[in-house]
Amino acid sequence: MIIEFLQMGGYGFFVWASFFIVTVSCLFLYYRARKTLKKYEKEFVKELESLPIKHKKRITKSSKVIGSILASQNKLS
Amino acid sequence: MDLFSFGNVIVYVNKLIKFINSIFFVILIIGLSFALIFSPVDYLQGDTVRIMYVHVPSAWIGISIFSLIAISSILNFVFKIKNLFLIVKSLAPIGLLFTCLSIVTGSLWGKPTWGTWWAWDARLTSMFMLMVFYILFIFSFKYFKNKEYLPKILTALSILGIINIPIIKYSVEWWSTLHQPASIKFTGTSSIHSSMLIPLFLMLLALLLYCALIFLMKYKTEIIKIKKQNIKRL
Repeated sequence: MIIEFLQMGGYGFFVWASFFIVTVSCLFLYYRARKTLKKYEKEFVKELESLPIKHKKRITKSSKVIGSILASQNKLS
Repeated sequence: MDLFSFGNVIVYVNKLIKFINSIFFVILIIGLSFALIFSPVDYLQGDTVRIMYVHVPSAWIGISIFSLIAISSILNFVFKIKNLFLIVKSLAPIGLLFTCLSIVTGSLWGKPTWGTWWAWDARLTSMFMLMVFYILFIFSFKYFKNKEYLPKILTALSILGIINIPIIKYSVEWWSTLHQPASIKFTGTSSIHSSMLIPLFLMLLALLLYCALIFLMKYKTEIIKIKKQNIKRL
């Protein structure tokens, strides 16, 4: 029954290749998008760390974007 | 307008990413089960019809994203809305991926049904042209850094590219093509049975959720890039 399912009535190569290509391509784009996002988040935090403490505290409190980035970075570490 | 400030937008983006992550795999597994196991075999094409469940949603997504990109580019050119530029930049790679996937899976479907991997017929050629427009869009983002010229180039590409969209849609009616006419009609009766239509829409939903997830991640990256450039001025 499993072999029959894999053979797909003799068209297994075409059916499985289609689903395989879609899966691999989607995973690749997801990996690239996530990697780039994490890279920029890390760089942003690094830059934030280099600021004077007073300035850093002020903008961390006032900016939702910075709060969100710091929250996601804390989750990672 | 404060509702659309980057600070508020990023809060919604994070919430949406969490929501999509929580439902995506359930819908994908249900969609794949129907597409590969429960949906019936076509009386003429046999099991090759299962390729439809990835081919058709990919093509629809590729075409829809280009329409969205083109309209956004034109609106950005006219009204200079920065958010639209970020949306276009984040959507273009997703549209390219799905257009390429529709061409590749179409080719894999074409070989057993038509006996050839590729034919320069109207539908296939117009989809190929759509892929070329996407590539031009992405190249423009990469190589034209001048903020004055880029919106003009994107608008020109949008106007040229949007002409191709009705050609894709009606190519199977205007010309005699290898590609079959549309089986699913939004106005009128579809010639596809519900046992195949349900898995098709489930797979479309799963792929749309995937697109939304990638778009939100890319959009968030673009916001961080802007904030990083302006960090010292905050």
